[in-house]
Amino acid sequence: MHGICKSFGGIEVLSDISLTLQPGERIGITGANGVGKSTLINIATGFLTPDHGWIQLNDLMLTNCPAWEFAREGIRRTFQSSRFLQTATLEEQLFQAGHTPEYRNRLADLLHDSSLQSSLHLFPDEISLPVLRKAEVVRGLAAQPEILFLDEPSAGLTADELHQFGTFLNQKLGGQTALVVVEHRLDFMVMITDTVMEMKLNQELQVRAD
Amino acid sequence: MDTLQTSLDGLMIGSTYALIGIGFALVFGIMRRINLAFGACLLFGAALAIYLEPWLGWGVWGLFLVTMVGAALASAYVERLCFAPHTKRTQSMTAMIASFAIWMQLDEISSQMLPQRTHAYHGLEMPTFWLGEISVRGDQLLHFCMALVSIMLLYVLLYKTHLGLLIRATADNPETAYLLGVRVPWLGFIIFLVAGILGGVGAFMILSADGYVTPMFGMWSTFKGLLAMILGGLGSLPGAVIGGLILGVVETHAGATLGAEYRDMVTFGLVFLVLIIRPGGLMGVKIYRTESLAQERI
Amino acid sequence: MDPYLASVLTNMTLIAFLAISAYLVLVVGEVSFGQQAFFGIGAYLTASVTVLADGHVIWALLTAVVGGAAGTLVLGLLTIRLSGLYFAISTLCFAELLRFSLLHIRFTQIIDGRKLGPDGPEGFSNIRWIFDNHYDVTDFLLLSATCLTVLLLLLFGLARSRLMLRARMVGNDPILAQSQGLNPTRYRLGFIALSGAVAGFGGGLFALFNTHIEPAMFGVMLGVHALTYSIIGGLGSPIGPLIGVVLDIGLLESIRQLAAYRMIVFGGLVALFLVFRPEGIISHRLVARLKRQWGSRHV
Repeated sequence: MHGICKSFGGIEVLSDISLTLQPGERIGITGANGVGKSTLINIATGFLTPDHGWIQLNDLMLTNCPAWEFAREGIRRTFQSSRFLQTATLEEQLFQAGHTPEYRNRLADLLHDSSLQSSLHLFPDEISLPVLRKAEVVRGLAAQPEILFLDEPSAGLTADELHQFGTFLNQKLGGQTALVVVEHRLDFMVMITDTVMEMKLNQELQVRAD
Repeated sequence: MDTLQTSLDGLMIGSTYALIGIGFALVFGIMRRINLAFGACLLFGAALAIYLEPWLGWGVWGLFLVTMVGAALASAYVERLCFAPHTKRTQSMTAMIASFAIWMQLDEISSQMLPQRTHAYHGLEMPTFWLGEISVRGDQLLHFCMALVSIMLLYVLLYKTHLGLLIRATADNPETAYLLGVRVPWLGFIIFLVAGILGGVGAFMILSADGYVTPMFGMWSTFKGLLAMILGGLGSLPGAVIGGLILGVVETHAGATLGAEYRDMVTFGLVFLVLIIRPGGLMGVKIYRTESLAQERI
Repeated sequence: MDPYLASVLTNMTLIAFLAISAYLVLVVGEVSFGQQAFFGIGAYLTASVTVLADGHVIWALLTAVVGGAAGTLVLGLLTIRLSGLYFAISTLCFAELLRFSLLHIRFTQIIDGRKLGPDGPEGFSNIRWIFDNHYDVTDFLLLSATCLTVLLLLLFGLARSRLMLRARMVGNDPILAQSQGLNPTRYRLGFIALSGAVAGFGGGLFALFNTHIEPAMFGVMLGVHALTYSIIGGLGSPIGPLIGVVLDIGLLESIRQLAAYRMIVFGGLVALFLVFRPEGIISHRLVARLKRQWGSRHV
């Protein structure tokens, strides 16, 4: 993305934000509350349209496309509240996205984790949050995305659970998938990313020296 | 001259549509809900009035009172059963669906009270006034004044009382109002009551002008009120008034030029066009935008 | 079979088509008050084909299906930006507009000395297909019940498919659906068109059974009832709408003392249901739980 600006009702939330990702690159984005992290993710995944600037994935210009096209092209995300259909089992939901044998194999590999296996036949509201977060990641990765965005995954997790989640991520992430984590838990971000950038109001993203 | 006469007639009937439209707009503007049982509530009030007439025998003003009270009571009942249990933002459809179930119920109850197809609903015997070649029926003029008074009273309630301030604050931004400590515990109940009263006045106006009531009145008034509200902009009170008046005038002209059969068609067509081209109507654009954005919030 | 009973059962199957039509729209998360208009279009088309064009009943019903789907597709495309309450009201307006159009269609021809064809508010009489083909009430019941069963089987197949799960996702949480690469508009339009096809078919059968149709039969109340059956019956399975139909027309109609007050009871029942069990009788969770139990018993 380049030169992204976004205003809401006269308040400029993002001004001239640019970000470039290499395949497999892992970065974290942190910042105080209200600085525009959610807006950034929403724009980057197509759920909001920027006022100015453009978004490009390889050769494709995605700026004004609807969110589902972003997803189709390989930009996947998780949500702060781990969105799942409440009236279908985890298994049904994970397997609905693809029917090819390759997809099934990929999914089976990703699911190679005891807590997920035992929850497959449950409904999302019967499953604990750490497992749901993992399931969301599996859902995203099964699609072999170009970029996976994580939206505040640490919310609601204890330090132990967060650590476990980080290990899980490191295990499952393939080399080709870029990762962008929007978070405020630095320890977690350092564990799973190579670079951490900081967002401040009305400024460009800057790399944190530490 | 004919145009003027038609327009005047249209304004007369439009004022009743305005009152019913306000009933819908109050509920949508403040609670973001549509009460589909509203017309049926009005029918219930009228049916109750007719049903009790032999016992009470108060004449026309008795009919007026009972219609208004009956409509208000029915409206309150609908609020308690269909709207109070579903207050979350995501439950607006559930509430609407419950309200049309009660629409069916109230329609049936009213039919039981009005066993014949048509029942006389007495109006006021009043002279017709003439201004040059334009005629105005005396009773319709009185009704128009009643509508005016009702709207002014509503205005006073909303803009000159403390309760009205709280209502408007909640309508404008429910979450913030709640956070700021604005608590109107019976807000929904009050709104529905007020809507029922206003609708009752409107129902009385139409029925006494026509001189009869049929069980179809429930559906008919639901349509008219909805259409008035949509034309003026969903949720906007001034919009509902203007929408009602416009509806009355357009409808009367359509009836005069194209004939009675095409009149309703023109109305629905107009409203449908408004919905697909400018869903916010004349004055409800802000509400439409907020509703759409709220659905997209992540 | 007792003709009265057969007649009641046939009516139930016909209304079931309309209830299923409403259900299909509910799956993608919208409420339609207008399905009865497509039911009516199907009725008129079928009547026209069998009476005016002397066509085979298969063609007649096929025309009804296509007509119903086309009609709803037009509605869907016009209202593409609308959702929720706005969409619901627009369906109501559209349906009434269609009904008014039917009130003005007069296309009568003299065939065999009789004036036949749609005649405005008088409607369309002498749809003699069942007489010409010697169908009595029981025969027709068999026909419509079979059609309904076939439809239900098709829908059961659909319900177990990924397509249905995706449609439910679109209806339940469009943002989630989009994040999975699903285009909500496509699912919406698809299911809306399907709902129109089903409604049209049901209307076609209705015309054949009733032998006389008129615009007044396809008013808002018909659609509202069908919608309520769908909601009370539950959206977890295509059989939900049928349960709703049976509950109202079957159960309540048959209890003599209640018959006159049917709507009073049923209306209140629906409202109460929505307070305590908004998913309806056959909810998604119930179905999934049953499947789970079934699955574990076969392990």
